[in-house]
Amino acid sequence: MKVFNMLLPMTMEGLKVTLGVFLITLVLSVPLSIIVAKLRMSKNKLVAKIVGIYIYIMRGTPLLLQLMFIFFGFHYIPVIGYAFSRHQAIAVAFILNYTAYFSEIFRGGINSIDVGQTEASTVLGLSKRYSFMKVILPQVIKNVMPSIGNEVITLVKDTSLVYILGVADILKAAKAVSNTYSTFVPYIFIGLVYLLIVAVLTKVLDNVEAKFNYYR
Amino acid sequence: MTLIAENLNKSFGDTLVFKDIFFTVDKGEILVIKGKSGQGKTTLLRCLNYLEVLDKGSISINGKYLCKDADGKVQYAEKEDLKAYRLDIGLVFQNYNLFPHMTAKENLLLAPKFLDNMTEEEMEKRAKELLAQLDISDKENSYPYQLSGGQQQRVAIARACMLNPSVLCFDEPTSALDEETRGQISKIIKGLANQGMAIIVVTHDSSLVEELEGNVLTMGK
Repeated sequence: MKVFNMLLPMTMEGLKVTLGVFLITLVLSVPLSIIVAKLRMSKNKLVAKIVGIYIYIMRGTPLLLQLMFIFFGFHYIPVIGYAFSRHQAIAVAFILNYTAYFSEIFRGGINSIDVGQTEASTVLGLSKRYSFMKVILPQVIKNVMPSIGNEVITLVKDTSLVYILGVADILKAAKAVSNTYSTFVPYIFIGLVYLLIVAVLTKVLDNVEAKFNYYR
Repeated sequence: MTLIAENLNKSFGDTLVFKDIFFTVDKGEILVIKGKSGQGKTTLLRCLNYLEVLDKGSISINGKYLCKDADGKVQYAEKEDLKAYRLDIGLVFQNYNLFPHMTAKENLLLAPKFLDNMTEEEMEKRAKELLAQLDISDKENSYPYQLSGGQQQRVAIARACMLNPSVLCFDEPTSALDEETRGQISKIIKGLANQGMAIIVVTHDSSLVEELEGNVLTMGK
C-alpha cells in the first residue's frame, strides 16, 4: 500500500510530462511533416537535398543522442549560442525527430496517389495548392493512417527517453518508487499504464481510419 | 474556327511521336482522331490540354493562344492567358480520373467552387441539369466506386462540362465499355456537339468512328 501511496501521485505528475511530450510532438509534427515531405519532393534540387540530409540525420541517429545534443551541445554551435531549457530541448528534439519520420510516410503516401488525380485537377483549372489540399491530401491521409498509427504508438513509448535530461515522466516515477521500496511492482504498474494509453490510442486511430472508409 | 492546331511536332527524347499535324475543329463539329496504339493520339490530346509540351507548333481556341511558334521555338502563353485557355477546353480521361473521395456532385462542383465564377445556386442548378441530361440524377450522392464504368464516364463528362468549355476532348471513350453503353456514349457525344461544343475524340474503335460521323484524322501509317 505504501508503494502505491508514493507511486500514484508521482505517476500523475509523470503523466503530465508523458502526455505533454506526446501531444505537443503529435500536434506540431504532423502538419510540419506534410510541408517537409513537399520540400523533399521539391523540383529545387538544393532544397530537396538539404531536407534529405535533415531526414537522414534524424533517422540515422538515436533520439536519445538528439535529445542530449540539443540540450547539452546546441549552445556550443558558433553563431547560435542559444541554450535550450530542458523542456524546450525535449520539444525541439521530439518534433524534429518525428517530423522526419512522419514526412517520409507522407512522401510515400503522396507518391502513391495516381498522377491522373493531379492531371484531372490541372485540366479543371485548379491551382496546385487547391488541388493538393482538396484532392491529393485527403486521399494521402487515408493511405498513410496505418503507418502514422504505428509511429504514434512508438511515440508514446519514446517519451520515456526524457529521463536522460532529468525530467520525471511515468517511467522515472516507477524507478524512484522501485528504488525506495526495493520492489518491481511499480514497473509492472507503469507497464499497465502504457498499455492503457496505447489501448485508448488504438481505439482513436481505428475510429479515424474508419472515418475514411466511406470511399475506396 | 474554334480550335486551330498548326504544325504540331512532338518527340520524347529521340523518339518522334508526331510531326507536322494540322487540324481545325469548329463549333458543333466532331473531329475523330483515329489510329493504332502508339501513334501518339493520346499525346496529341495531352498537348492540346497542356499536360505535355510541344516541340513546335501553335494551338489556339477562339483566338486565345495556348502556344505559338516564335523563331522556330514554341512559346507558351503567360500564366493568366493559360488560365483563360484552360477554361475553354475540357478533357474526359480514358480512365475518367474521378476524385474517389467525393460524390458525383462534389466532383462536378469542385472546379466552379475554386474558380468562384458562379453563385452557389448557379453551380447547383448547372450540376443538376448536367446530371439529368446524362441520365444519372439518381447518382449525385454516389461515390465513384459505387458507379458502373459507364456511369463513371458520364460523371466525368458532366464534370468536364461544368465550366461550359468551347472544346471537349475524349480519350478512348469506349475502351472499357460494352457495346450498349458505347452506343449511349456516342449519342451523348453527338448531343454535346449539337449543343455547339467542338468535340475531339481519340479512339482506335472503328465502330465508334462510324457512329460519330465526324471528320476523321488518321495518325500513323
